[in-house]
Amino acid sequence: MKSLLLAVLAAYLIAAIHSILAFVNKRRSVQRVAEWSMAAGFVLHTAALLADWVIDGHYPLFFLRETLSFLAWALVAAYALILYRYRAQALGVLAMPLISALTFTAMLTTTGPQDAPAGFSTTWLFPIHTTLLIFAYAAFFIVFMSSVLYLLQERELKLKTFGAIFHRLPSLTTVNQLATHSAVLGLTLLTLGIATGMLWSAARDGRIWHNDPKEIFAVLTWLLYFLLLLYRSSASWRGKNAAWLGVAGFALVLCTFFGTRLLGGYHVFG
Amino acid sequence: MSIVLVGVNHKTAPVEVRELLAFSDEACADGLRRLVDGEVVREGLIVSTCNRVEILSSTTAEQLQNGTERITQFLDSGQSLPPGFLGQHIYSHTDDEAVRHLFRVASSLDSMVVGEPQVLGQVRRAYSLAVEAGTAGRVLNRLVHHTFRVAKRVRSETGIAANAVSISYMAVELGKKIFDSLKGHSVLLIGAGEMAELSAKHLLSAGASRVRIVNRTPEAAQKLANEFNGEAVPFDQLEASLAEADVVICSTSSSEFVITEEMTRKAREKRRNRPMCMIDISVPRNIDPNAGKVPNVFVFDIDDLESVITSNIREREREAERAELIVQSEVMQFQQSLRLMDMGPTIGALRQRFQEIARTELERQRKHLGTLTLEQETALEQLLMSTVNKISHPVLNQMRRFYEASDTETMQEIAESFGLDEKD
Repeated sequence: MKSLLLAVLAAYLIAAIHSILAFVNKRRSVQRVAEWSMAAGFVLHTAALLADWVIDGHYPLFFLRETLSFLAWALVAAYALILYRYRAQALGVLAMPLISALTFTAMLTTTGPQDAPAGFSTTWLFPIHTTLLIFAYAAFFIVFMSSVLYLLQERELKLKTFGAIFHRLPSLTTVNQLATHSAVLGLTLLTLGIATGMLWSAARDGRIWHNDPKEIFAVLTWLLYFLLLLYRSSASWRGKNAAWLGVAGFALVLCTFFGTRLLGGYHVFG
Repeated sequence: MSIVLVGVNHKTAPVEVRELLAFSDEACADGLRRLVDGEVVREGLIVSTCNRVEILSSTTAEQLQNGTERITQFLDSGQSLPPGFLGQHIYSHTDDEAVRHLFRVASSLDSMVVGEPQVLGQVRRAYSLAVEAGTAGRVLNRLVHHTFRVAKRVRSETGIAANAVSISYMAVELGKKIFDSLKGHSVLLIGAGEMAELSAKHLLSAGASRVRIVNRTPEAAQKLANEFNGEAVPFDQLEASLAEADVVICSTSSSEFVITEEMTRKAREKRRNRPMCMIDISVPRNIDPNAGKVPNVFVFDIDDLESVITSNIREREREAERAELIVQSEVMQFQQSLRLMDMGPTIGALRQRFQEIARTELERQRKHLGTLTLEQETALEQLLMSTVNKISHPVLNQMRRFYEASDTETMQEIAESFGLDEKD
């Protein structure tokens, strides 16, 4: 399995390097290399996840290693969709190195005790809960990255420097829409993810809430993106402020994802 | 076959010299007929634009020196210029260099503003004049068509023309960086000057939905409104119109701010924070620079536009480096095809010779074969021709290879050994 993931990592790294080169040199041919190697990586990655599932006998989204790998996979899917829908290749400069890093970390991470998932994989609700949340995280990653692009381009236009960034980054409207749409999608997935988690937990031990740090952070994240969208639709926080919120909110997402691991609690797993 | 290019351009000669040498369309045809004699100068074409006067022609390798001198004299003639005067401005290129120069000119690598699109049209016009005058032959036809291909390739494979370099187009360029597409966005012109008019034209063709014009003299506003199918708005309604405009172009001769920071703030509130692009091409400035501090409002003055243009030119020059590589490889390809063209007659004649032999032999033996059906007749002919072609194919291929290696002597030897004289 390691060797397959190694091939995936190689493909993503090639895509990352070529995304950066294409960004710097604005070469369509280089961008095409990036996209094809990303596609190849994605196919291999899908195979690796399926193989994990078959060999380990549980849905490949439980341990940290699996979670990171799955998150990288979801991000590739999201980025591919963005390329198709928005043609925002500049996003690849941030997305592809991040995806490579996640894949690399997943490879380095050692799997914990192999027998843990027994109680979890029995119900179909649990994998749905985790999958929804992984895609929600991916959507928030995209909100973060497009917000960064927005802030960079906005700064360029306000300061009137008109350098490389001005020529290479997508328009404000494009990244603004991308951030808004991803936030809507992320919030929807987060809502569904929390709901399925509660249902699963209710079925398991009759409680829907454990006051565990991950749950609290998740609700805070939910509130933050809800406010973000509310502000955006009321228009008073369109643009730069919303973009800052998109960047800041991501810190909370990271806390939800990693932080609780350190704090312990009910959500002891990935 | 040799190619010669002689001329002056904006880098080598000032406008006073270029205008002396320039050809009108009529003078062009006339001059070409005088210049091309079929002996020293075999074919000719004149590119005459405001930035260059160049004469392209083909001649034989032996006449190269004479041809170049002829063309130089031709350029000099009729102007009664002091002797030696042109010498300091004129340049001449031959063969590869001439081809390279023409490719660069047509791809707009040699232009004052790299990437400007007009020059290709001018080369096209020069070619059609030469065709009309009957001075474009085998070599120039091939060269010019190859040139069009190169120009197209450069345009599509590099971003040489991607970024605009004119003030009037900057509104479109900046608008696109904010709104992505100008489709459905509205434009407000304040002042009805020529530059504003030109900008509005570009914005409309980029998809902007409607134009409103505010001007102190309503007649001028109405006149522009009619032209753009837009709407003239009285000056006192400027504030209200401001809130509805996505792109504002300001070019009045007012000596104070027409749009203040306060007005901009109000407009932003009414627009519920939708972004807005304001371009001030007037000097003294008509939009308070502080308006640019209002969030989601982007204000650009004439200096900002100039610096976008400078930055765009830099981008173009970066792309031009890649274009040069394309030109380089195309020059090599063209030389190759020209050589093959030269060789074409020899190979064709040899193939014809083989087929003739086969046909004569067939005729001689035909009477022994009796009556044949049409199918049999064709089959027989095909059999003979494909045998001849199959046998001669390796020989012809070998000749082609010698040719590509510039070993014309060996090629001729082979041709002669098959009984083909050089005059064939």
